[in-house]
Amino acid sequence: MTASRLLSVDRLVIEFDTQRGRRRVVDGVSFHLDAGEVLGILGESGSGKTLSTLAVLGLVPGRPGVVSGHVHAHTEAGEVDLLAELPSVLRGGSDGGPIRKDDRRWQRIVHRTMKPHWGRFATAVFQNPKQSLDPLMSIGRQLDESVALAHPGLDRTAIRARSLDWLRRVQLHDPQRVATSFAHELSGGMCQRAMIAVALAREPQLLIADEPTTGLDTTVRAEIVGLFRTLLRDRRRSMLYISHDIREVLFLADRVIVMRHGQVLEETTADDLRLGRGQRHPYTASLLTAADLPVGEAA
Amino acid sequence: MTANWSDLGLRLSGTIVLAVMLLGVVALFVPYDPADAVSYDRLLQAPSWAHVMGTDGQGRDVAMRLVKGTEAFFLPGLAGALVAVVLGGLAGAYAGYASGPARNVLLGVLQLLDTLPRLVFIILLCTIRTPSIPLIAAVAGVLFVPTVATVVRRKVEALASEDYILAHIAHGFAPARILLHHILWLQCWPLLVRQAAFVFGYVLFVETGLSYLGDYGVQEPDPSWGNMVAQVKELEGAGAWPWLAPAFAIVLTISGFLAFGNLVARKGEESLR
Repeated sequence: MTASRLLSVDRLVIEFDTQRGRRRVVDGVSFHLDAGEVLGILGESGSGKTLSTLAVLGLVPGRPGVVSGHVHAHTEAGEVDLLAELPSVLRGGSDGGPIRKDDRRWQRIVHRTMKPHWGRFATAVFQNPKQSLDPLMSIGRQLDESVALAHPGLDRTAIRARSLDWLRRVQLHDPQRVATSFAHELSGGMCQRAMIAVALAREPQLLIADEPTTGLDTTVRAEIVGLFRTLLRDRRRSMLYISHDIREVLFLADRVIVMRHGQVLEETTADDLRLGRGQRHPYTASLLTAADLPVGEAA
Repeated sequence: MTANWSDLGLRLSGTIVLAVMLLGVVALFVPYDPADAVSYDRLLQAPSWAHVMGTDGQGRDVAMRLVKGTEAFFLPGLAGALVAVVLGGLAGAYAGYASGPARNVLLGVLQLLDTLPRLVFIILLCTIRTPSIPLIAAVAGVLFVPTVATVVRRKVEALASEDYILAHIAHGFAPARILLHHILWLQCWPLLVRQAAFVFGYVLFVETGLSYLGDYGVQEPDPSWGNMVAQVKELEGAGAWPWLAPAFAIVLTISGFLAFGNLVARKGEESLR
């Protein structure tokens, strides 16, 4: 299978204006992802890993500041630069300079730009699975919404059949019961499975998993990671898997980037990390040591 | 213990609301000719089996006029509540989500409406236009749009940063659907029930007030709870039933609706948590 480029993020910079001046939280991050590939993004909290990936979805919080760089999405309809579609009024200069973010106006423009791509090109699974589901709508109906958007024109029974099928695919036993349940009636692990089902039922080209196991019990975390592995084996899917847990990343990813202080420290294949091949950045080495994994050569 | 009290209150106020609704519907279908009902051989009778609430200064059956008097506020009250909740809900949802000049104009209009003293404005309106109860109800509804819009807008703004709303956006769910179904319908209904009950009570209050004052409300011989109470001015202590019954009905209905709205909303909000 020849790999085709799905996403490339190029020199992404995100800055927020704070009371103590402008703070750069993402500092020239570049990475790319091919179709069918899983890219692990490893870093501690505050490393900018979540913000960089949310930028792919246009979900950077609309605080005053600056976003610049390029996010090239190779959608089914062709290639688009998600940031370039932002109109020039928000840009500092006509030379394609930085974009100023201005709360609601930013949101509105992002919505206009991203609308055709949300769900179809990419969607996300967040941490806090319980909060990620509508508390007042049954799991089944939320799944129905997702399925209906992915397959317009299906009738109600066909939609529900697919929804139940998705619940089975995320290995939820008794899908009938889960479908009529609400988020507060399910455990965190079940909610995350349901959430993954809702996201995948939308049939995106790219799934972004933003620390999907944070806050879950250890055994449940292992199950969720195992589920991702199964789902990835089922079909060729592309995923950005964001985590601070090096073992999870190594288990799932084909390639890994390590981030710290808003910068990409190093990019390597998961195999090299696992087997301790090649030179390691000292920070990566310390992560490997902490997880009791072979380091190889620290640079 | 507190739960029992609020359950009791809910049942009591619910009964009042239901009774008023029933009376209102029944009144629409009961034929009544106020001129026909006048009878000078049974003036100011005390309650009896024939006239359960007695008769008034013109020998008309008080109970009948009480039932028929609901016509003056029942449909107008519902209409006013509907206007306030629908317009206020939509305006609030839009203002909480959108941006740009249209939203700013809307906020300005809402703020302007909010500064109007409601009762004064309605009386003023009555002096420049031929007053009609449906018009008054519609205006009362519009005057409550800012109140409803503000509570809805706050709710929308508070929910906008919730994870599940972000997730819905990321999945590509239509913004209108997220806003109207997931937020306005599922999350704001307790707020809307409370506001609707309040506006209904307010329309009753305004209608009876205007009818009591006489010039702008429902005119004799047509019955209204307000002009029934106004008879106290002519009876000079001759009989209490003709005005006491409607006065009691007004207090009971308004407090019943307010309590019902509040208790249902509180229950609803507890269930949302």
